[in-house]
Amino acid sequence: MAGTASRDNAARQPGAPWLTLKTREMLEAWLFVSPTFIGFLIFFLGPLVAIFYYSMTEWNLLSQQATFVGLRNFENALLENPDFWHVVRNSVIFALGLVPLNIALALSLALALSRPFFGVVFFRTVFFAPVVTSAIAWAIVWKFMLQGEGGAVNQMLAWIGIDGPNWLREPNWAMAAVIVTRVIKMVGLNMILYIAALQSIPRDYEEAATLEGASRWQVFRMITWPLLAPTTLVIMVLTTIGSFKVFDHIYQMTGGGPENGTLVLAFYIYQQGFKFFNVGYAAALALIMFAIVMALTLVQVMLRRRDME
Amino acid sequence: MTPRRIETLYRICWTVALLLLAVPFVFPFLWMISGGFKSTTEIFGAPTLIPRVWRFENFAEVFAYQPFARQYFNSLYIAATVTVLTLFIASLAGYALARIRFAGAGLLMLFLVMALMVPEEVTIIPNFFLIRAMGLIDTHWPLILLPVFGPQGVVATFLMRQFFLALPRELEEAGKMDGLSRFGVWRKIALPMARPALAAVAIITFLHSWNLFLEPLIFLSSLDKFTLPLALSNFNDSYGLPLWNLQLAATSLAVVPILIIYLIAQRQIIESFALSGVKG
Amino acid sequence: MTKVLLKDIRKRFGTVEVIRGVDLEIEDGEFVVFVGPSGCGKSTLLRLISGLEHISEGELSIGGRIVNEVPAAKRGVAMVFQSYALYPHLTVRDNMGFGLKVRKVPAGERARRVSEAASTLKLEPLLDRFPRQLSGGQRQRVAIGRAIVGNPDVFLFDEPLSNLDAELRVHMRSEIAALHQRLSTTMIYVTHDQIEAMTLADKIVVLREGKIEQVGTPRVLYKSPGTIFVAQFIGSPKMNILPLADGQPISHGASVPATAVSVGIRPEHLSLVQPSAETLRGKVRLAEYTGAVTLIHVELDGGQTCLVIHNQGTMPEISAEVGLKAAPEHLHFFDKEGCAV
Repeated sequence: MAGTASRDNAARQPGAPWLTLKTREMLEAWLFVSPTFIGFLIFFLGPLVAIFYYSMTEWNLLSQQATFVGLRNFENALLENPDFWHVVRNSVIFALGLVPLNIALALSLALALSRPFFGVVFFRTVFFAPVVTSAIAWAIVWKFMLQGEGGAVNQMLAWIGIDGPNWLREPNWAMAAVIVTRVIKMVGLNMILYIAALQSIPRDYEEAATLEGASRWQVFRMITWPLLAPTTLVIMVLTTIGSFKVFDHIYQMTGGGPENGTLVLAFYIYQQGFKFFNVGYAAALALIMFAIVMALTLVQVMLRRRDME
Repeated sequence: MTPRRIETLYRICWTVALLLLAVPFVFPFLWMISGGFKSTTEIFGAPTLIPRVWRFENFAEVFAYQPFARQYFNSLYIAATVTVLTLFIASLAGYALARIRFAGAGLLMLFLVMALMVPEEVTIIPNFFLIRAMGLIDTHWPLILLPVFGPQGVVATFLMRQFFLALPRELEEAGKMDGLSRFGVWRKIALPMARPALAAVAIITFLHSWNLFLEPLIFLSSLDKFTLPLALSNFNDSYGLPLWNLQLAATSLAVVPILIIYLIAQRQIIESFALSGVKG
Repeated sequence: MTKVLLKDIRKRFGTVEVIRGVDLEIEDGEFVVFVGPSGCGKSTLLRLISGLEHISEGELSIGGRIVNEVPAAKRGVAMVFQSYALYPHLTVRDNMGFGLKVRKVPAGERARRVSEAASTLKLEPLLDRFPRQLSGGQRQRVAIGRAIVGNPDVFLFDEPLSNLDAELRVHMRSEIAALHQRLSTTMIYVTHDQIEAMTLADKIVVLREGKIEQVGTPRVLYKSPGTIFVAQFIGSPKMNILPLADGQPISHGASVPATAVSVGIRPEHLSLVQPSAETLRGKVRLAEYTGAVTLIHVELDGGQTCLVIHNQGTMPEISAEVGLKAAPEHLHFFDKEGCAV
């Protein structure tokens, strides 16, 4: 046994290794995660701490001088500024409209498209296509189609005898339009999550239930829906958070208008922070948004947990 | 009627319903392309799907109105850079988190989960001042750094970690016995086997960067630095009203190539999103 | 000289101690088998020797060199994994040559060693295939080939046959035995299958709950097991253990040590006779016919079930009264700690 690799190294006696294997391994691990970790410190943890400080200051636009004002910005938002509650109301309406519509549609589509049939790939591809499209592009086209006069939507409505409103010029219609177009844009994502979940449910359950005489609806109600519960929870949390974060869509379609009818929280923060340079106020708003998102997530997780017990 | 015929009828009803439902998903794309070829007068006239006069000049004017080619290139190279960096960094960290027992791993995971929960709107204000302090306003740096190290990077890390967790441990141990260092095991064994996960991460990361809007809006001010979404929203006349035909032509130019790639690779792309969604 | 020496080796995962002080000496060229029930620590012990796990306490030396802090690849050991762990993206040839490539062995030398190992294991026709194109037995052989190519001082096998079907397992067992004869390299082999242990080993190490229960040749372990645990673990079907009082009739004529509390008799040493005062008495409950022998379950008057291997032509009827007897030299006596006396 000549020239073995091991024997070549046998001479190198590690008398007193300056690092034990265990320590070395740990250092290696930290080396592996260090880019992520350092980036995380700089662009996430640092800013997260900073925002608390910002939220308690008032910034002078010209000199960029910060004055400490304590909880003044929060008082301003929660107690004094009527805009704030209007914006929160809009955000809640947006979420309340979008989340159920999105989930109901996603689930219906998934139920229709989870089994192979002629054309299933075509339909899945179609319903998912808006997801890969930029939100700005999507909003541009829909804004074009929703014009009061000469818009494609109203033209189609005219064919069936409906006189469509000037969608994006009337606050309530604008909100409805923004919700529906956003649902169409994003529903494909939830659809495929539901399809994946449906396909992972063994057919046996359904077959057993059918043998016992259950109708399609009963099978869905008693078997499929409960088995989908974990997926539904994930989808609900993600979609709700997503609805509070929606920005580009509204920026392009309505710019928060008309009459601030679609001014939602994320857009309001952008306006305050980057257009009016009320940095302290915007920071306070951002923290409030964070709190809302966290609270909603917790509530949903807790509700679901209680449901399952 | 026999059960078989009821079944067939049922099928037909479903298909018709689905076709109707597909209209608002497909029609906007058709309308966008058609609008891109129309003249201003036709845009505001009675709408038709096929333009009465095909106005190809729109596309030339898109490039005259803004440095659109440059903007297109910006989007491409930024998305490519973000993707490559994310693949590298996320697969390194994902590997360590999946495979090495080390002090602080639990805490790090907790932090990363937190980063997923916090909306970008929360950190964007401090990040703006950070980027400004670094002198990187109106450069492409923030559009690369923030996504790589932001929630999108975390999603990528988790995806990679999930994949590496499922990788047979003995394979890596064999590599170790064969004399590979940790880095060698990652490079020579884990990565070659992780191709499906890398592809998924690449797809979602590229699209995320390609469609990014808030960051370009905040950080960029020069036209020739714009990325596509920002450029698209910028086709306005001096009153701030949209130049519809140009805007639609430009939007078509931005959207259609992605759509074509999507149609070719739809399976892979949809699966990638399913994977990342399940993770979140 | 590649002696492997373990001195008071301990391994903790968190607060759980899974290897609790193992001392062992493995001679150059010896084939040693670690055997024990699942969870006894045999695989962990092997991984400590390989360097895949870090030793918490104690001293491990291979070929006279303390290797606690030597990385796995530099210990001069090669491992054959339970799942074979062949790299799926490499051909058989590249799988076998991978370790040499990593160690920067020149290409010519590499090719020579790979083809040498391939011819030893009759792998030549498979060299350009990928692992997914191989059968279980072929993969197993490639895994062994990969180990041979590195020319290690010590081979480590981690339950290498457990993923094969019964017939192939017997075949590969003999191939491994032949390999050891040809190479006469030190081999350490982990299995939970006592037949594998008995047939392959020069020396068997029985492990139980992270400690060595007994070390010895297969013959010694079978003939004079040190404890009830070893007595029951080695040999199949396992040894019958009876309280001394119940075993009284059969112990007739043997010298029973004073501290003994139980007696053990292997099923193959019991024979069915007419019941009498000098035999154990019981009723036949079940007879499992396997062809060569019949395994008879006898329920003794005391209530225990006693297994008997019966290879005579006459078959007792179910619930027939029978007597059992054994030669005195085949009796094993154990004290109340379960140790042989």
